[in-house]
Amino acid sequence: MTAHEGAHEGLRADRVRVTGPSGRVVLDGPGVHAAPGRVLALTGPSGSGKTTLLRALLGCLPPGLRRTAGAVRWRGRPVPTGRAGRRWRLTQVGWLAQDPASTLDPWRSVLDQVAEALTDRGATGTAARAGAAALLERLGLDPALHARTPGRLSGGQAQRAALARALAGDPPLLVLDEPTSGLDPDSAGLAAEAVRRRRGDPSRVTVLVSHDLRLVEDLADDVTQIGAVAPPPVPATAPRPAGTPAVLTVRGLVLDHPAGGPPLLTADLTVHAGELVALLGPSGSGKSTLLRALAGLHPPAAGTMVLSAAGTTGPLPHLASERGHAQLRRVQLVGQNPRDELNPAHRAVTAVARPLRTLAGLGRAPARARALRLLADLGVDAEHAERRPGRLSGGQRQRVAVARAVAPGAAVLLADEITSALDAATATRLLDVLDRLRADGLAVLLSTHDPGVAARADRVLRLSAGALHEQDVSAHP
Amino acid sequence: MNRVSLAFAFVVVAVTLLGPALAPYDPAAPVTAPWQASSVGHPLGGDVLGRDVLSRLLAGGRRLLVLSLVAAAAATLVGTLGGLAAGWGGSRVLAAGADLLLAVPVLLPALVLAVSLPGDAAVVAATVVAGAPLTLGVVRDATAGARERGYVRAARLRGERTLAVLLREVLPAVAGVPAADLGLRFVTALQLASALAVLGLTDAPATGDWAAMLRENLAGAALNPAALAAPALLLAMLSLSVAAAAHAGLRHAFGTGDAS
Amino acid sequence: MRLSAPAGLSRAVLAPLRAVVLLAVVSVAVFAATELLPGDAADAVGAGRASAAQLAGLRAERGLDRPGWERWASWASALLHGDAGRSLLTGRPVVDVIGGRLPATAVLAGSAFALTAPLVLLGCVLAGRRALRRPGDAGGGLATALTAVPQVVVAAALAALLSGVLRWVPPVSLLPPGGGPPDPSILVLPVLTLALPSAAFGVALLGGVVADALRRPYVTDALVRGVPAGRVLRRHVLPVLAAPALRVLAVVVGGLAAGGALVETVFGYAGAGELLVSSVAARDTPVVQLLGLGSATAVLAVLLLADLVPVRS
Repeated sequence: MTAHEGAHEGLRADRVRVTGPSGRVVLDGPGVHAAPGRVLALTGPSGSGKTTLLRALLGCLPPGLRRTAGAVRWRGRPVPTGRAGRRWRLTQVGWLAQDPASTLDPWRSVLDQVAEALTDRGATGTAARAGAAALLERLGLDPALHARTPGRLSGGQAQRAALARALAGDPPLLVLDEPTSGLDPDSAGLAAEAVRRRRGDPSRVTVLVSHDLRLVEDLADDVTQIGAVAPPPVPATAPRPAGTPAVLTVRGLVLDHPAGGPPLLTADLTVHAGELVALLGPSGSGKSTLLRALAGLHPPAAGTMVLSAAGTTGPLPHLASERGHAQLRRVQLVGQNPRDELNPAHRAVTAVARPLRTLAGLGRAPARARALRLLADLGVDAEHAERRPGRLSGGQRQRVAVARAVAPGAAVLLADEITSALDAATATRLLDVLDRLRADGLAVLLSTHDPGVAARADRVLRLSAGALHEQDVSAHP
Repeated sequence: MNRVSLAFAFVVVAVTLLGPALAPYDPAAPVTAPWQASSVGHPLGGDVLGRDVLSRLLAGGRRLLVLSLVAAAAATLVGTLGGLAAGWGGSRVLAAGADLLLAVPVLLPALVLAVSLPGDAAVVAATVVAGAPLTLGVVRDATAGARERGYVRAARLRGERTLAVLLREVLPAVAGVPAADLGLRFVTALQLASALAVLGLTDAPATGDWAAMLRENLAGAALNPAALAAPALLLAMLSLSVAAAAHAGLRHAFGTGDAS
Repeated sequence: MRLSAPAGLSRAVLAPLRAVVLLAVVSVAVFAATELLPGDAADAVGAGRASAAQLAGLRAERGLDRPGWERWASWASALLHGDAGRSLLTGRPVVDVIGGRLPATAVLAGSAFALTAPLVLLGCVLAGRRALRRPGDAGGGLATALTAVPQVVVAAALAALLSGVLRWVPPVSLLPPGGGPPDPSILVLPVLTLALPSAAFGVALLGGVVADALRRPYVTDALVRGVPAGRVLRRHVLPVLAAPALRVLAVVVGGLAAGGALVETVFGYAGAGELLVSSVAARDTPVVQLLGLGSATAVLAVLLLADLVPVRS
């Protein structure tokens, strides 16, 4: 094959195998061919080794990893290694990493950094600076911003500066790692535009990694799949109790923003016995703060809460420190991080027995016996109940945390993303546990960002722009 | 590594505490020629006054060890209580002077204190003065971290008092930190105690003292190197093993958060 | 280096202010530790022979019966005017007593520093290489471990080896009686004993900073993009290290000051450190006060420099 023929090859790799320090195979990749003038997309689930494959293609695997099979050729010649490889990447390859803003030197102006990349690809002195300024401006960065360091730009602006550095000098090979997940929508649009321009130019090869199927469909000429495709989990249907009484009624609740300004959110909501209410909303919308406020851990600016549970009916004080034992035992919260929920020094059964003693007034032995029974009900056997959380799985820890919360007789369980750190199967089992407890009348208010979890709920409340909206009112007339 | 160093430290401590009973000769009485080289009866030879080095080695660790342990325990206790309070209250106390405390070696305050205090008291006081703030810092960070954890929140939601939360939830959860820190404070105190003994600012017992042995036998290094090397080796190994265990403990306490 | 004006200005004002406050705190601590604890200068001068009445007279004469803060204030203001009092032992002005010892200590500390600096540099280069090759490895274990070894052990081991076994250098470092430059051979043991622990401490502190700097995403990304290692080091890594390096320098200065006291005494080298220890033994409070405060001031001065350099964390 002559060099001229090789130019039609673009970037081609046989099945690439990457092994770790102990000889463990980290990646058994597919054959890859990125043709001139075309855009190749590598897709696959997270953890399938997409970034590792990219690094293997560029000949710069992270320390400890080695490519043990599969030759990589660029325009018909093996991708160089060592010093020649660095030189090749510097002059021929534009690279945009995940979280591109963090790859900018925080202490140098973005103009300097883009001009440096242009200089590396053949421009000189003033031409490089002028070219860099023009490129930054084309990506929507006002000239007044060019002298700023990345820290003094917005996140999106910094991402565009990093994109400009990758595009500088229109490199023969452009490699983008997850350009949409790390970029805000505007920057992602600009990145897509830049990729589109390269299509059809036979001297340009583009490779991108993404799990964003829309982007892949939009941009890619060829798609290579890495790893197996997992089927989406099938949501189970939950029992839907009808006409149960309200246990927690909240009216006119106002939560202030910690930084001041307009309130974070205002909310009216009612939770009925035995129902599962899902609380949806983008991150930062205040889901956790709302749950913490209901639990009495975050003082609201205004509003009333009324609790109607066996033995205690009436207004609920705002702060947990002002609530009596009868009220505390009825409203309990479980958080999202299984590592944090349980005290590493206490055994599971001790953790569950403690509130039975302090809130339900049981003696040491009865509290322990009831804790063991409850844990067994929730699928934590006696052997695991004697373990400390360090020797329990994430799902087991969350079940222990739920047991600790409901043990003293909770009427309302505030569950803050309790499934988010668990895999799909474990999360489903945890929700099954909640279903069992709901059959006895426990009301659950569950914040989540997972539509699959929300699908099991009786009702869905959506939190957006500081207000709660009922998404499906038909379940409860 | 951690297990080995801990095991070694325990052996040294046990031998030190039992040592005086095991000594083959009277550690205070001359039984050989000065700096006599090692022989069958005296495997480590004699020291500056012809006393048996092995016997002095066995007898000479107790004072140093007990003094260092007392000093370290005092520093860790003060620092842990302060750190619990500071971490719970969200205080940034001591941030301004922390780098000065780190930069000034503990020997300087110890020397200044030794003007008006007996040597042993100066060791304890300097270890507390210079070491407790460091303990306070790490315990404060660990406490501040634990404060936001689910188990502390759960305790507040069952109406436990602050003191109960601190002692029942926070302290057991962060206990690895002061435990490991005790090791570091012990190493500092040992360095300090041996330095002051070498400088002649503490009253070494007649039966010997590893650090004082270093000074006594420095001039005889050529005649009986063992008289110098044996206490040096013991001091070095003890410090190294305790420090290694302490560092491993701190990494564990801050690294995984799991203490199973 | 680009820095917004208010931040730079406040740093230039706040850092010296903080240093002055810390110096005042240190002076209070030094004064309190030497004067206010039981066993005051009158006890030392009286040495158990004086009667209670004589001691009271002595206390009144020296102003020891006044409240502590008053005595501190007059001591501090005299110090500010260059009057550190007289040695209780010899009656000579403290400044002269210490000044006579400084040249010898400067030679020793200077030589030790000249050895420490390249050792720390070497250790940091090794730590950096390790960080690049094994990103998950914390590193710095050896240097950290070595800081645990008591300095007296280092002194004994070096003396046993170099003087005892190899007989290269004398075991004691006596200065020539008439003054003049010391024979270099007598410096070998004290310089090594000072420099090796200081270097271990320096590497233990700075090596981790170097490794962290090399693991920053913009550094690893620059290496992926093919930017030459020399340029990465010059542009992205070295500027980050300026402030931490100065802080480590302060630690090294403190280590040399404290280590000097030990090393000079052990090897019989008549410098300021030996003076500190003998003054402590003789309870010569004014000398101890000035030496203690002076050492702390040296450390504070370097910390002030570190404060003035913008932190890039």
